[in-house]
Amino acid sequence: MKSYLLASLAVLLACCFVGTAFAADSGSAETEMLVFPEAYKAMKVSNGGTISGVVKFEGDVPEKKALEITKDEKVCGADEKFDESLVVGEGNALKNTIVYLIDISAGKDFDKKAKPEIDQKGCKFTPHVQIVPVGARLTMLNSDKIMHNVHIFGNNPVNKPQPKTRRKMPLKAVKEAEGPVEVKCDIHGWMSAWIAYVPHPYFAVTNEKGEFTLEDVPAGEYKLGYWHEACGTNSKAPAAVTVEAGGTVTQDFTLKLK
Amino acid sequence: MRIRTVALLLTLFGILVVFNFVHAQNAPEASEKGKEVYENSCAHCHGTEGRGDGSAAENLLPKPRDFTRGLYKIRSTGTGELPTDQDLFDIITEGMPGSSMPGWETALSANDRWEVVAYIKTFYDGFKEAEAPPKQINLSGKVPYSEQSVETGKALYTELGCVECHGNIGRGDGTSAPDLTDEWGFQSWPANLTQGWNFRGGSDTEAIFKRFIGGLAGSAMPAFEGDTFPGFGLTAEESNRMLELDNKDEMTAAEEEESGQLYEKYDAAVDIALNLAEGTELSAEEKQIYDDAMKVVYEKSWHLANYVKSLMPEKRPEPAIGNNVLRSQYLQGALPAIDDAAWETFEARYFPLVGQVVIEPRQFNPTLDGVHVKSFYNDTEVAFLFIWDDRTHTTDETDEETGKTVEDALAVQFPVKIPQGPTAPKPYFLGGGRLPVYLWHWKASAPDQVTELTAKGINNAEVQEAQGELQAQGTYTNGQYKLWVKRALKTDDKKDLQLEPGVFVPIAFSAWDGANGDVDTKRVMTSWYTFVLEPVPSSKRFIYPPLIALLSVGFLFGLRAFVLRKNSEEA
Repeated sequence: MKSYLLASLAVLLACCFVGTAFAADSGSAETEMLVFPEAYKAMKVSNGGTISGVVKFEGDVPEKKALEITKDEKVCGADEKFDESLVVGEGNALKNTIVYLIDISAGKDFDKKAKPEIDQKGCKFTPHVQIVPVGARLTMLNSDKIMHNVHIFGNNPVNKPQPKTRRKMPLKAVKEAEGPVEVKCDIHGWMSAWIAYVPHPYFAVTNEKGEFTLEDVPAGEYKLGYWHEACGTNSKAPAAVTVEAGGTVTQDFTLKLK
Repeated sequence: MRIRTVALLLTLFGILVVFNFVHAQNAPEASEKGKEVYENSCAHCHGTEGRGDGSAAENLLPKPRDFTRGLYKIRSTGTGELPTDQDLFDIITEGMPGSSMPGWETALSANDRWEVVAYIKTFYDGFKEAEAPPKQINLSGKVPYSEQSVETGKALYTELGCVECHGNIGRGDGTSAPDLTDEWGFQSWPANLTQGWNFRGGSDTEAIFKRFIGGLAGSAMPAFEGDTFPGFGLTAEESNRMLELDNKDEMTAAEEEESGQLYEKYDAAVDIALNLAEGTELSAEEKQIYDDAMKVVYEKSWHLANYVKSLMPEKRPEPAIGNNVLRSQYLQGALPAIDDAAWETFEARYFPLVGQVVIEPRQFNPTLDGVHVKSFYNDTEVAFLFIWDDRTHTTDETDEETGKTVEDALAVQFPVKIPQGPTAPKPYFLGGGRLPVYLWHWKASAPDQVTELTAKGINNAEVQEAQGELQAQGTYTNGQYKLWVKRALKTDDKKDLQLEPGVFVPIAFSAWDGANGDVDTKRVMTSWYTFVLEPVPSSKRFIYPPLIALLSVGFLFGLRAFVLRKNSEEA
């Protein structure tokens, strides 16, 4: 009884000392997400076109930020690691940008043979950005022989330990398109990657040269979107592309820090 | 007699019936009443829209729950499941120890609490959309507590990686502990498993088991679902063999094949578990494989829960008042050093710490629970052993928020003048202008040194010019500090406290956890307690009582002789 009274008193006291309201910035988060079509129908695509291009970074390239390795140094600190939220290569090529079709409603099916994986090697997630089809299982690999903890945020949260003996850990398939959502390892706080659960296969992630390619796109007009961890999205003003049957259309992007 | 027994049985039966009725109740439909109660009692912290952003939220850690995400830490249900109505009702009723969430059992009627449950559920659509009730964790295979079970659990504690966050012996001091955050990016300290009274959802074995299997949604604590166990789907022997083969540097062809087969069985069972989780109907054979696998997992989990239970005392220690007052034990000869076994011969006294919330900067979210103290004295000196748990060893770091240098520290304070009589005023807080205090200040960066201070108020402490000959030694192991201090009973310095056996001396503590941003007045502290150098029964007891007895006997004999003589004279 007494302790309840005391606890209530503590809460009241806490209330008294509070000046400013706790401001949650929930409004801007939505524009940082991918945009998915309301419905998608898989069909056979013949004589489709190709969209390709290069994503470049504009602005002063910040110095690479070395990650501080605070534990399991033998495994994690074998080589120097850098923050991967902004990886700019030669000629300002921007890696790890998702480029995708925003408004496609029918097109090819997913490549069923492709099994999405993220490896935990040297206490780093590879790749840093992974596309996972809705309904497919993402397999987490553990090449480190130490314990990791797969902690995925978002509407389909996962928080599963992956002990050192667990080399492959498939995760329950996600049923709704979402993302990108972050993956962290609580044990090694610097580890970070992004997952996009997508409803159609017209998603690409740029490589070291900033290049992307979307193939077998049915002829038509589309909105081409991008997402980058540090540079944001163009969801409000996507690029318009026209794909001709069997043709190739080029669309480059230049991104700035958001 | 018989009637009384029957009456007793009937009452018990009645209680059981009522209990069953109350148990596993479901919330009513959300109503205006629930909204009203919520807005009066809950919204200050949890926000009118349930986002956990009420006006008080800023200063709280753990943060008030954001109800719009449907993530609840304390559940009787599996990972990814919503809580039951009963789970929500229980948390509202009992509160969450170690956090700012109070229990509402006395402040709100049961009816109002049910209304609040119904209202809270409206913040997250998942409750409405759920097609089936959430799956509860099966508690039926409980393994009773035994030393052997604890031993098995201890091995699992290491194997499953609990040490990474909870530390070698459970004090929450694992190497990953300082870096943990919750779903919203706020610091999230792993539980100190030796302090069950601070467990948010209770510390009975069932509660521990449920937290382990279901995880604490929204925190860094993962769910140890079935298929996370190495060798899921294998018997205990098979999984041991699998690990044994894994650890071999080189395998023979036969061993390769054996390992391959075990992994195949393991993968197949994982596949079944995932199918089930994704909603696929299992065949009878698959169901059998899954059930067998889960039986092994659940048994292991009970062992682990028993081990965690073994780490904590049965209940929170009593604070050092009344019969538990700190009594310094008299010793003849030298006082024991910090690691002397003599310290283990008796129980420490416990001084619970609370956040300092009166003077800015305040500490609303303490991470230190309490100080345990033991003491010995001899004819000339007194020695203290102060013991407290701290998840991190911080000696000289810069706090990211304030830019101040923070470190772990402890201060022990006494009045300069001992108040005479129980009603005499004690120095307020950290000493007032008229009633200064005498302080011992210890810092983790100089573990073998204690500084003497005189303070006249919390922000007005001065290092004494004459530093007496205080000896100190501090250690930090497995998430626990030990500080040993020795001083002469009497000193020449007028600003020092002078000690005498049998005199009750006020004592209080302040402590700082650098990793929690504690610095200056942002700290945890105790109120005034007392300690006493337990007086030794005087050796004069061997002289005076026999002397008095002797004199009395002599007197009686004299009286008798006198009376006899008188009588004979009369005769």
